[in-house]
Amino acid sequence: MSGTLQAVVAIFAIVALMYIGNLVRTKRLELKYALVWFAVGTMLLIFDLAPGILQWLTNLLGIALPINMLFFLGFGFVLLIILTQTVVISNLTRKTKRLTQEVALLHRRIDNIKSREEETKEIIESIQKPDVGIAYYVDSEEP
Amino acid sequence: MQRRNRLVIIPAFNEAGCIVDTIEDIRQNAPSFDYVVINDCSRDDTGELCEKYHYNVVNLPINSGIGAAVQTGYMYAKRYGYEYAIQVDGDGQHDASFLEEMADIMEDSDINMLIGSRFIKKEGFQSSNLRRLGIKYFTFLIKVLTGKVVTDPTSGMRMVDREVIKIFADDYPKDYPEPETAVSIIKRGLKIKEIPVRMKERQAGVSSISFKRSIYYMIKVSLACVMAAFGVK
Repeated sequence: MSGTLQAVVAIFAIVALMYIGNLVRTKRLELKYALVWFAVGTMLLIFDLAPGILQWLTNLLGIALPINMLFFLGFGFVLLIILTQTVVISNLTRKTKRLTQEVALLHRRIDNIKSREEETKEIIESIQKPDVGIAYYVDSEEP
Repeated sequence: MQRRNRLVIIPAFNEAGCIVDTIEDIRQNAPSFDYVVINDCSRDDTGELCEKYHYNVVNLPINSGIGAAVQTGYMYAKRYGYEYAIQVDGDGQHDASFLEEMADIMEDSDINMLIGSRFIKKEGFQSSNLRRLGIKYFTFLIKVLTGKVVTDPTSGMRMVDREVIKIFADDYPKDYPEPETAVSIIKRGLKIKEIPVRMKERQAGVSSISFKRSIYYMIKVSLACVMAAFGVK
């Protein structure tokens, strides 16, 4: 790997890490989900600055070129991230469903309470009407 | 609204064609039951019809699917302390006159779930050959997984008691719940029994299981049954 490429990759990794850091700082990305992205950036930086590690790993697994090792690792990370996201989506779906159900049931309850309230009002009004023939005092003071 | 201890859950998605008939049928033929319509954000007049006739309707603000709609019914049943609950589809495929009979059987026994089976007496609408083959397969699968025979594991006519209401309110499959929940109920050591019923052919609407989706149905429900057999939480 040429020195220039090494420098470019290093800069790219650092900028990416800073960008992710900023996303977390401004609350646009949840720290919990940022961890895996930090891991990707950091690993890229390590492999870039110390190519020996990647070379060693490549030899260990019997892969011909270090770049293939890098692709392999990248692919593994992407799969991991997608899986994490599917878990998160399932979780969100479950929560949205619960909230939807809860809202619907509360609506029903409010409607029931409202109609009961109206019924009560009607009864009170009918009692208050003088032609019903019942004396009814509102706000009557205690004797 | 007067409260009884038996509840009919009617999930409705675009059922304007027969929702009124379904409810009137229940009112006449199952007078000891309360009912609740769960309107799953229908795009037709289902909601308006329910408002017009002052039906007891719960309107889901977002279309959430049949599983979520039915579960909302079980949540309702749990919250208002109902003893027995049964799901009746809004398409008028079930016969409300069986409801009283089923509830009476449940009251007189310690059964947790009572399934109305089309295939004990083989009366009424019997479904197509291919579908019956699918149903037989699930009977076989459930037998393998639990050792119990359920002749009509896809029957939507299932009455459950308070204990199962609680379970369903907490956890209910997203779609095609029947075989899967049967497995999980048996695996929890609760009692299932079947009685013969007669079902009508649907009055309006289309079956949720079109031919295209049947592949998905077979795979999804098979997997779900296996998961339910091994994963009682």
